[in-house]
Order: sequence, then structure tokens, then C-alpha cells
Amino acid sequence: MNCQMNQLIKLINISLLSLILSTSFLANANDEPSPEIPEGIVKLSKINPDRNVGFLMGDIMNRTITLEVKKPYKLIETTLPIVGYEHRYKGQVSGIELRKINHTEKENRDTTTYVIQLAYQVFTTAPVVKPAILPAETVKFQGPPTEEAKDGLVQYTIPEFYFRISPMAVFGAVKIEEDMSPLRQPVLLQPYVEKQKLTAYLAVLGLSLLGLLYILGSRAWLPLMGRPFAQASRQLTKLSSKNPEDLKLALSRVHKALNTTAKYSVFSDNMDAFLSHTPSFKAIEAEIDQFFTLSHQVFFDTQISTSHDGNSLVWLKKFCKQCRDCERGLKPAKQKKA
Amino acid sequence: MSDKQLTDWRQHAQKLESEINKVVVGQQTPIRLITTAIFSRGHVLLEGDVGVGKTTLLRAFTRCIGGGYQRIEGTIDLMPNDLVYHTYLGEDGKPHVSPGPLLMSGENLSVFFFNEINRARPQVHSLLLRVMAERTLSAFNKEYHFPHMLVFADRNQVEKEETFEIPSAARDRFMMEIPIVVPDDNEIMESLIFDTKFHNVDALVNTIPADILQFDQLNDFSALIQTKIEATSTLRQYALNLWRATKTPSAYGVKVSGVDMNRLVLAGASPRGMSMMLRAARVNAWINNRDSVLPEDIHAVFHSTVAHRLVFSPVYEMRRTEIARDLLTGIVNAVAAP
Repeated sequence: MNCQMNQLIKLINISLLSLILSTSFLANANDEPSPEIPEGIVKLSKINPDRNVGFLMGDIMNRTITLEVKKPYKLIETTLPIVGYEHRYKGQVSGIELRKINHTEKENRDTTTYVIQLAYQVFTTAPVVKPAILPAETVKFQGPPTEEAKDGLVQYTIPEFYFRISPMAVFGAVKIEEDMSPLRQPVLLQPYVEKQKLTAYLAVLGLSLLGLLYILGSRAWLPLMGRPFAQASRQLTKLSSKNPEDLKLALSRVHKALNTTAKYSVFSDNMDAFLSHTPSFKAIEAEIDQFFTLSHQVFFDTQISTSHDGNSLVWLKKFCKQCRDCERGLKPAKQKKA
Repeated sequence: MSDKQLTDWRQHAQKLESEINKVVVGQQTPIRLITTAIFSRGHVLLEGDVGVGKTTLLRAFTRCIGGGYQRIEGTIDLMPNDLVYHTYLGEDGKPHVSPGPLLMSGENLSVFFFNEINRARPQVHSLLLRVMAERTLSAFNKEYHFPHMLVFADRNQVEKEETFEIPSAARDRFMMEIPIVVPDDNEIMESLIFDTKFHNVDALVNTIPADILQFDQLNDFSALIQTKIEATSTLRQYALNLWRATKTPSAYGVKVSGVDMNRLVLAGASPRGMSMMLRAARVNAWINNRDSVLPEDIHAVFHSTVAHRLVFSPVYEMRRTEIARDLLTGIVNAVAAP
């Protein structure tokens, strides 16, 4: 029984050893350069991208390589390029990355056909058109031992593909002499059209708001603007001292504001009732008396109705502002008698 | 000269008011209104409860005006001829005819005082219509003129037994209907009770200087007032608006509590009524030393000159006094000037 167990352990050890040896062999096959495959053994046909210019960052470039290899040479699959490997050119990352690889194998009578489909993606750009290559890929074959290749390993280099990467910037948008840093971030597209549209929309919006302000400015659009004396005060500012009729108009406007505030027609004989209902106006009781005196002179006195100068309108405008302050609950500023 | 006359007569009017205010206390407003009616040459109807001083007030004015004074008591059996003449058997045993109260003073009749006018029959009211409107009377195949006559009448609105409602045509002849109410001032009420000078009405009235005014000059001076005191176009427009509002108060937004405004007024103020109103307003302006009529002058006489002229739907007649007061107050509050 023990003898059988020892034999089994030996067998496992031998298997592990052979596995390690084969792995190290494959690693060696990948890393070490091998002699070139003899001429005439490999027949290459390739389908490259249909153009070699105009590629931008992010573009996918497909390449199909067909290798028809005479027997007994066989492709070592582990030597195929690895997805994600970044090629370097003179120590610099080239910016071309293998994104996807597929391969098929078809056995013929004397040959084996390998079809390798490669998909590269461009991860670089430049302010001007930049040359680039899909790199040459080296694959290895296992063949019979020869003088150059005693272990039978030979390699074959799939030729590179030259193309041009186009810049993403518009010509002239970037001054290259001022932008030579290798750390420069990718040039962004300039949203000129969008900016112009945005500006136009903002202009229309601004004009609309101005129009709205103009329309609403003559009406009530803030809580304090719609009150009778606030409205009257705005209307009085438009009147001129030079026009005698404007004084009548101004007096009428103030009368109307008083009536609207009281909700009835206010006269000098019901001022007490008005002041008791709106005590905030008590502060300008003397001015209100003066207002009625002026109104009586202008509207009802046939002797002196035409003798008023521009000072009356100036006084009236100040009086109206005092009333506006009163209706807002503020303390009105005192003014001199007209 | 006319300006001096206006000033002199104003002093007479002020003295008249002053003297009467000493005798009839707490009635400044009715006294001012009666003074206004005298200088406007308008008849006056006093309305109030029993014992509030209506008769005393009218007797006091009568003494101040001077001229012929006649008085008659309204009773249910009073007939029109009782105002014109009365018959009696003389000492010679023969029937005699003597002039009645209207004819007794001839053209010098200045005050005809009709006490409790609503107790008289409509036939008497009818006679009075002509006397008040034309100041003439046909009797004994002769036309009598009373150019200086004013009719002072009073009535008791509370007592309805054995009374006749004064028709609207008769009411319209009165320039003013003035309510007399007991003063609310405690001091005045106390003096009316305890001050012995108020106990004897005859002695009280006799304390007033007689003939403060010259009755036979009042017509000419009244015409002078109406000529001198002016009304501007603004005031005319205001008076017109008030007139229209008495006809269609709902069009001016006037409302009276518990009243269907569309059904309330059957007839607004008459042209004669509005004319009387403005005459009284001119006099009020003159008394207050103004050359032009103000809206406040109209307000001072508006209720007393207009209220009794309005014709209401019968359903509202029972509340006439209260509704007329609210209606006219609403009109003054609703109509603005300017």
C-alpha cells in the first residue's frame, strides 16, 4: 500500500515539474528573440483600415491578418499580442492600444491558416497632423529543429501600418508655439455656435425683462408700488412746472389718491374722519390743509386761480411724496410752505 | 359799494346767529341753515320731536327779521279760507269780514309761521303751494302780493294720528327741511332743565334785539349775493354730478343698507331743488367770507335742501328720514371734486 502511495506521489511530482518546465519554456518563447522563420514558410495577407489619414482620438482601427503557414510549423498562441498592452516608441507611450484580438485556426492539407483580427484604439492627439503606426507584432511558431533554431522556435513579424492622426482643434485656434507642453490636456471643441445662440437668447430674455419692467412699472408690481400715492407720485414726476394745466392735473391726481386711500371722496370738511381712519397721515395734517387751500384756489376760486407759479407744482410733488411715506407707514420729511 | 354791502350784511348775519345761539342753545347747525335760508329767500320746514324748540327757534328768527309776522296752527278742521279771512259778528250785530293771517300784514308780511303743518288738510297745503311759489294770493277779486314773505313751518314726524303727509309738490316748495334734535351735550341738557331763563319762552324770545335785519332789503341783498358769489366750471360739474347721482345713485356705486337701490328712487332732486341748493351754497360761501362756492358749501346745505325732495318707492317711505340721510351721505362720498 505504501509502495503504491510513493509511486503516486512520484507521478504527481513529475507532472508538476513538467508543468513548471513547460511554463518556463513558454515564457522564454515569449520574451526571447528567436530566429526569423525561413522564407517561404509563411504567406501573409492583410486587411488594413481603408484609409490612413483622418483618425481622431477614440477611433477604433480594425486590422485583419491572415497567415498561411506550412506544416509542421504551428503558431504559439501565447505569443499573440495582449489586449491593453501599450506600445512604446523610443521609450514614449505611442498612444495606440490594442482593445480586442480574435484569432481562428484552419487546418489545410499542407498548411495551417491563422486569421488574426486586431482592433486598436487611438488614445492620442496633437495640435497638428501627427504620424502614427499600428505597431509591428511579432508572433512565434514551433517548427522542426534547425541549425539556427535548435529548439525549433522561430518568429515572424507582422508589418506595421502607417497612418496619420488628425488634430481635434480647428486650425489657428491653438498657437502651437505657446502650447508646446507635453502635459497639455486634450484640446476641447469650441462651442462657438452654442455661445452665439446663448448670447442671442440672453439678449431676447433681457429685452423681454426690460419690456416687462416698462409695462409693469406703470402699474403695481411690487407691494408698495401699487398704492395710490406711490402711483400718483410717479405720475407727478412726469409733469412740468412750465405748463399751467399740469398743476390742475397734479391736483386731480392727488385728490384721486386721497379718495382711493379713504375709499370715499375726501374734502376739507371730512378730513377729521379721514385722519381718524388713517392716523398715519396725522403727521402731515397741516400740509393736507395747505393742499386743500391750493386746490380750492385752483379749481374753485375765480379770482386767483390763474396766478400760480411753478412753485406750487414743486410743493405738490413734495407733498405727494410725504403722503406716499405716510401710506407706507414711514415718517414723512417736513417741507417748507409753498 | 357792493363789497361793503356784503361785508356789512355779513356782520348782521353773524350778529343774528350770535343772538339766536344765546336763546336756542346747542342748535348751531340749524341756526346756520335757517340764516342761510333767510338770505337765500327760501322757505323753511323744521322737523323734529315734540318740545325740542322748533317753535322757539322760528319765533326768535321772526323777531330778528322784523316786518309783519303772522302765525297759524295746523289743525284737522283748518280750511284754506281760514288763512285768508275770518268772519265775525261785530258790536253792531252785523257780520263782518276781516283779513286772515296771510292778508293782515299786507305786503309787509315777512314771516308766515305755520305751526304743525302736517295737521292741516291737503286743501290748505294746496293754497300754501301757490303762496310759497308765487308769493301772491287772489282774494276778494284782488291780487295780493307778499314780496318779503318767508314761510316757516314745522311738523312732528313721530305723531301720525290726525295728520296728513305733505305731498311732494308742497315739500318741494320748501328750500330746506331741517331736522331739530335734542343736543347731546350734558352741559346744555342740564341748563335746559335747570336754567330758569328757558322756562318762559316769551320772555326768552324778547331778550333778542328786534329787527337785526331789515326785512324789506333782504330780497335785493339776496340778489346781490347770487350775483357776486361765483361758481367755477369745476364746481358746476360737481353740482351736476350730484344731481345725476340723486336720480341714479346705483350708477355712482351708492349703496344703502337693506335697500334695493334700483327700486329706491322714483324721482331725484328737481331742477328747482338743485337751483335752491346752489342759492343756499352761495349764501353759505358768503357767510364764510368767500367769493366763490366750494364743494364744502354745497355739502353744508346738501342734506337740508335735497333730502325732502327725493321721492322714494312707497315701500321705503316709512324709513324716509333714515334712508335719505344714508343716501345723500353716500352720494357725497361717491362723487369726487375735482
